Amino acid sequence: MGGDGFKADNYLRYFSRDGSKIQSGDEMIPFGKSRSAKEPSAALGTLELSVMEILWSHGESTVRDVIACLARPLAYTTVMTTLDRLFKKDFLDRYKSERAFRYSPRCSRDDWERRRADSLLAGFLCRPEPSRDLLISCLVEAVGQYDEALLDDLEKKIRAKRKELLQKGKG
Amino acid sequence: MTLPYTLRLLCLCFASFFLVHALLGLAAWIVTPSAARVAESMRPRNGARLLLALRLLPVTLAAVAVAGFCIPSYLWLETNEATERVGLACCAMALLGAAVCASSVIRSARALWLSARRSGQYRREGRTLNPSHSLPVTVMNSDAPVLALSGMMRPRVILSRGVLQALSNDELEAALAHELAHRNSADNWKRLALFLAPDIFLFSRAFTRLNRSWAKLIEWAADDDATAGDARRSVSLAAALVQIARMGSGSTASPLASSFLKNDDELPARVNRLLGLAPSSEKPARQMRTVLSVVAALMATLAITVTIQPATLLWVHRLLEQFIR
Repeated sequence: MGGDGFKADNYLRYFSRDGSKIQSGDEMIPFGKSRSAKEPSAALGTLELSVMEILWSHGESTVRDVIACLARPLAYTTVMTTLDRLFKKDFLDRYKSERAFRYSPRCSRDDWERRRADSLLAGFLCRPEPSRDLLISCLVEAVGQYDEALLDDLEKKIRAKRKELLQKGKG
Repeated sequence: MTLPYTLRLLCLCFASFFLVHALLGLAAWIVTPSAARVAESMRPRNGARLLLALRLLPVTLAAVAVAGFCIPSYLWLETNEATERVGLACCAMALLGAAVCASSVIRSARALWLSARRSGQYRREGRTLNPSHSLPVTVMNSDAPVLALSGMMRPRVILSRGVLQALSNDELEAALAHELAHRNSADNWKRLALFLAPDIFLFSRAFTRLNRSWAKLIEWAADDDATAGDARRSVSLAAALVQIARMGSGSTASPLASSFLKNDDELPARVNRLLGLAPSSEKPARQMRTVLSVVAALMATLAITVTIQPATLLWVHRLLEQFIR
């Protein structure tokens, strides 16, 4: 998964989260940038994401700690493999303590989200014109909708103030 | 490095300028957040004056230090007219000082050139409605949301046909009064002064926040002058702002022009303020202009009194001798 880098053609499939099963049944949460030697891919499967969420909220944990926090019961080996995979993908640091590894996240959730967004945009913007234009027009539209709502709100206030002044004038 | 008499003076001037300017600039940068808060709690015009004074203080005092202390003490007391060795630190600071000054001069010249080019373009392509009036209004044949006060010596209001059609008479009158307020307070010249005032270091942007706060306050001040406390006018001005924002993002006529709506982010705050919805924390006027003038006069008097003392110049010269090594 992560090591192959993200293929632009698969983007929409990943983005809509409707298919693309990977490894231990994880559903891919998209990520767009090919992985460099140092920088980990920001792509995380659903189980990987659940594990990361636990580590982000609880901090340094062992495999058993993570299993205890998981919403559904999973085998020790499944969680251990997932943690090992996250370590190899540079998402986690680990050290041995009393014959068990203790894992801690290497980046915060915010950093991960930012990297996801960056690489999503970078992946999309380097694609051929129509896709790029589509993304840009979607973004412009989203900003435009926000602006329109804001301007509508301001205009409503102006109308209310005008009405108030009119009533005062009549009174 | 060994330098002759005149180059040594130049080197000392730039190095002293850099040192004094950097120290005062850092001090100004540190107090900027508090100053911006204080300025916002004052009347906008006074708050803007306070921020402008803070922005121009480092460059003014650095220039005073060079012209009032460095040059006289050197010319009067430096007897060695032969070449003399100048330390590396002094040379480095002189180079940095020269670079900082040059960058601000280039930036200002570029802004002036762009402004002049745009003004010329508007004059050629637009139609001036009232050429003999003290504030000419030029209408451009465009639908872009352009409404700005452009030009330095003889500023004019630049208005696009789209804006002219979009605004009602009351809104247009309020918007023009806003631009007139900018002209009356010479805001375009103040913008040029900000361009001329160097930043602390080359390529640093330490004064961005101060500049932004000042720009916000001069818009508020122009709004206040345009409405003059008239509630109906305030509503018309708020409506004009929203109308222009609907036409698209604020267009900048030139770097030295005062645009009616330059920054969309400021729109809600300006509109709410005009409608009286924003909490008003403005303190009563405290004759800021008088206070600032008195402070400036006192400082100038003090500087002149201290400068003409031979003992001061002697002390400065000894300091410069240490500095140059």
